[in-house]
Amino acid sequence: MEIIENSRIKEKAYIEKLENGMKVIIIPKPNLDKKYIIWGTHFGSIDNRFIMPKTGEEVFIPDGVAHFLEHKMFEQPNGTNSLDTLMALGLEANAYTTNDHTAYLFECTDNFYEGLDELMDYVQHPYFTDENVEKEKGIIAQEIKMYDDEPNWRLYMNAMDCMYKNNPIKIDIAGSVESISKITPEVLYKCYNTFYNPSNMIMVVCGNFVPEELLKEIKKRLLPKEAQDEIKRIYPPKENSINKEYKEVEMEVSMPIFAIGYKDMEGMENKSEIVKKHIAIEILLNMIIGKSSETYKELYEKGVLISQPDIDYEFSDEYAHITISGESKAPQTVKEKIEETVEKFKEDGLDNEHFERIRRKVYGDYVAEYNSVGDIARMFLADSMKGINSFDYIDEYDHVTKEYTEKILKNVFKKENMVMSVVKCKQDK
Amino acid sequence: MNYTKKEIKEGITIHNIITNKFKTNLYAVFLAAPLTREDVTKTALVVAILRRGTQNIKSQDLISKKLEEMYGASFDCGIEKTGDNHIMKFYLETINEEFLPKKEELTKKSLNILFDIIFNPLTQQGGFKAEYVESEKNKLKQIIEGKINNKRAYSFERCVEEMFKGEPYGLYKYGYVEDLEKITPENLFEYYKEFIGKCKIDIFASGENAPEEMIKMIEHNEQISKLKARAAVYVVDKTIPNEVSTKPENIVEEHMQVGQGNLVLGLRVNSKKENARFIASVYNAILGGGANSKLFQNVREKNSLAYTASSTFRRQKDAIFIRCGIEIDKYEKALSTIKEQVQDMAKGDFTEEDMENAKNLIIGAIKGTTAEQDSEITYYYSQELSESFTSIEDYINKIEQVSKQDIIELAKDVWIDTIYFLRD
Repeated sequence: MEIIENSRIKEKAYIEKLENGMKVIIIPKPNLDKKYIIWGTHFGSIDNRFIMPKTGEEVFIPDGVAHFLEHKMFEQPNGTNSLDTLMALGLEANAYTTNDHTAYLFECTDNFYEGLDELMDYVQHPYFTDENVEKEKGIIAQEIKMYDDEPNWRLYMNAMDCMYKNNPIKIDIAGSVESISKITPEVLYKCYNTFYNPSNMIMVVCGNFVPEELLKEIKKRLLPKEAQDEIKRIYPPKENSINKEYKEVEMEVSMPIFAIGYKDMEGMENKSEIVKKHIAIEILLNMIIGKSSETYKELYEKGVLISQPDIDYEFSDEYAHITISGESKAPQTVKEKIEETVEKFKEDGLDNEHFERIRRKVYGDYVAEYNSVGDIARMFLADSMKGINSFDYIDEYDHVTKEYTEKILKNVFKKENMVMSVVKCKQDK
Repeated sequence: MNYTKKEIKEGITIHNIITNKFKTNLYAVFLAAPLTREDVTKTALVVAILRRGTQNIKSQDLISKKLEEMYGASFDCGIEKTGDNHIMKFYLETINEEFLPKKEELTKKSLNILFDIIFNPLTQQGGFKAEYVESEKNKLKQIIEGKINNKRAYSFERCVEEMFKGEPYGLYKYGYVEDLEKITPENLFEYYKEFIGKCKIDIFASGENAPEEMIKMIEHNEQISKLKARAAVYVVDKTIPNEVSTKPENIVEEHMQVGQGNLVLGLRVNSKKENARFIASVYNAILGGGANSKLFQNVREKNSLAYTASSTFRRQKDAIFIRCGIEIDKYEKALSTIKEQVQDMAKGDFTEEDMENAKNLIIGAIKGTTAEQDSEITYYYSQELSESFTSIEDYINKIEQVSKQDIIELAKDVWIDTIYFLRD
C-alpha cells in the first residue's frame, strides 16, 4: 500500500488502488475505540445525464435518482432492511447524498467486521421492484416537504438560482415530488450498474486497524467485477456571468435570513492549486467577516448581525462559489458592508498582523478536524472525490502567503459576481 | 481510571480527564443553580454579557483576536436546562501544543482567558457595561422570538412547556421577553455577584495533562483563588417518581403556515423501582431509539406516515417524548399507530431481539462517550449533579441486566400525558 504521512499532525494514510479500480484509504488511529467506515460512489444529484461506458448509450435521468437509489439500497429481497441490521449490531449506520457523491457508512466500537459483512453485502446487492420503488416515493415526498419548510434550505437554493442560470447544482438533492414520480426500477438499475462499478467508488476507513489486514478483509468481501472505463458525464456549458443579483421570498421566520454569494468563475481550473486557493479563501472570509473583523464588530454593535455569519467555499469541476449566510434585520446593509470591506482590502492590501493571526486560526481549524474518526473519514472521502489529498490542507499552509492571498482576493471577490438571496418574514403574522 | 476530581473549596470542584485521543485540549466551566421563573431570563442574559468583555480584555473582538493568535482556540458558552437546574456552560478548546507548527505555550494562556471571561467581567459604575447589556437584551429577545424558526425544535419545546406547566422544567431556557424591560446594568450585576457567590462550580480539563499539575495550575489562577467556599445551592438530580395519573391526555393543537405537521407526545414514567432509569432507557430504545424501534418501523416504514419517528428519554424528569414529522391529514392514523406501539410495550409485544437491539444501541452510545471530549465531560458532570457515581462499565452492566419482565412492569406505569400537534 502507498503510505502518505503528515509529520506535523502525526497522521498516516494507507492508500491502495485495487485491480477492479476501487480506491481504498485507511487512516489508522491506534488510540481510538471508535471505528468509522464510509463507502462512496462518485454519483450525486448533479449527475443527471451521462454515457454508459459499456454500451455507449446516452442516458437522461429524472432529478433525485442518486438520493432515491441511496434510500433503496438498504432494502433486501428477504424483506429485511440493512440499516436495521446494522443498527441491531449496535452500529451507528447511515447514508447520505450530496451534489457529487453518495456515501454509505457506519461508526462503531464493537462488531466492526459483522458490520463490514452487511455493508459490503447490501451495497453490492441492489434489489428494486415496482412495489418497493412505489412505496419509497411516499417516504421521499415527505422528506422533500420537510426540506421545503426549511427556510435555510430555500435560502441556499435561491442563492444557487441567483448564481447559475442552468447548472445541475440547482437541482434539489432529493428531486421534486414530480420528478421522483418518474423513477422506475429500470432507471435505478441503469444508474446502479454504471455508477456503483468499483472503478467509480472509494472506501475510507479510520480507526484502530492494521491497514494490510483490513485491506485483506475488504478484498475478501468484494464481488468479482471488472473495472470499467470512465463515465462520461454531460453537463450544461459553463456560464461566465451570474443569473440574477437578488432573490427574495417570504416565509415564517422571526428575522430575515440572507445568503450572499460570490460566484467563482475560475473554480477548479487550476487543479494543482485548488487547496492553496481554498485556504486563501478561508483566510479572506475570516478577515472580511470573521469574529475579530472590524466589519463584524461594527455590524454586531449596531445589532445588524446577531451572530457570526457562516462562511463556505463550495467547488467542483462544474461550479464554484462562496456563500456568507446568517440572520439579519438588514441584509442589504450586510451586503454593502462586505462589498466595501472587500474593496478596501483590495486597495490597501491586507494587514500583516491581521493576515498572520487569521492564518494561524485557519491552521488550528484544520488540525481540530482530526479529532474524530467520522470527521477524518468523511473529509478524506469528499476530498478524494475531487482528487484532493486531505493532508495538503496542513502542508500547503506554509505556502499561502499574503501576496498569494491578495491575488485570490482580486480574482474571486468580484463585485459583478456577487449575489444575494433573502428569506423575509411573512407579513401577515 | 483516567478521571480524577478534587474539591478545592466547598462547592468548587476541579475534574481532570486524561486522554490522548485528540489533537485538542478542552477546558470547561459549569455553573449550576436552581431553575426558577424569577431568574431564568437574568441567568440567560448574564452568559451572553460575560462573553462580551473582561476587565483585562475589554471587548469581544479583542477576545477573538487573542484566541485567533492561539491557533484559533475556540471559546463557546451557552445555557442549558438539566432537570430542574439552569446551568451556565463555558468551553475553551485549544490545539494540543504538540501539533503546532512552532512550539508555544497555550495551556496557561487558555485558562487565564477562560476564567477571566467568567469571573472578571467588564464593569462600569457598579454595573455591567451598559452598552453590552442593551445589545445583549436585544439579541436575547431575538433568540426567544426566533423559537418558531425551527419547527421541529419549537414543537418539542411547546410540548415540554405544556406538560410541565407551572414547574421549573416547563420554563424556556432562554427566558421571557417581558422580563427584559426590568433588567438594568446595575441590578443584573448584583444578580451576577449573588449567583457566582452561591452556585455550584465545576471546572473540567480534558487532554494529556498530568492531573496534579493541572489542578495546581487551576487552583492558583488569580480568578479561581479569589472565589469563596460556598454551600452550593442547586437541585440534586435525583428522580422523584411521578404519581400515576388517571387524568385524560392534554391535547394541544397549534396552527402555523407549515407543509408538514409536527406531532410530539409527552409520556410520563412512574419509576419507583431501583435501576428504573436503566429499564426506562431500554424501554425507550425499543419504542423509538433507532431504525429498529417500533415507532420507526411502524410509523415510518410500514405505514409511510412520517419521515421521522423517534423517542427520547429524559431521566431527570422521568419523561419520554415521541416526535414525528407527519403529513397533516394523516394525523389520526399516525396518532393511533403511535398509541398502539405504546400499548404493545405494556402487553410485552416485543421480542428478545428487540431487547438485544435496544441494548446494543445504548451500549454503543455509552461506549462512544469517550470518543468526544465534550461528551466525556458531560457524562462526568451528570454524575456529579446526581451525587452518585456510575462508571461507564457499571452503566453498561446495568443496561445488560434489564429483563423483558422489567420492561413490561415498567410499561404498565407509562402513560401519555400531553399530545402536541403543530399543523397548518
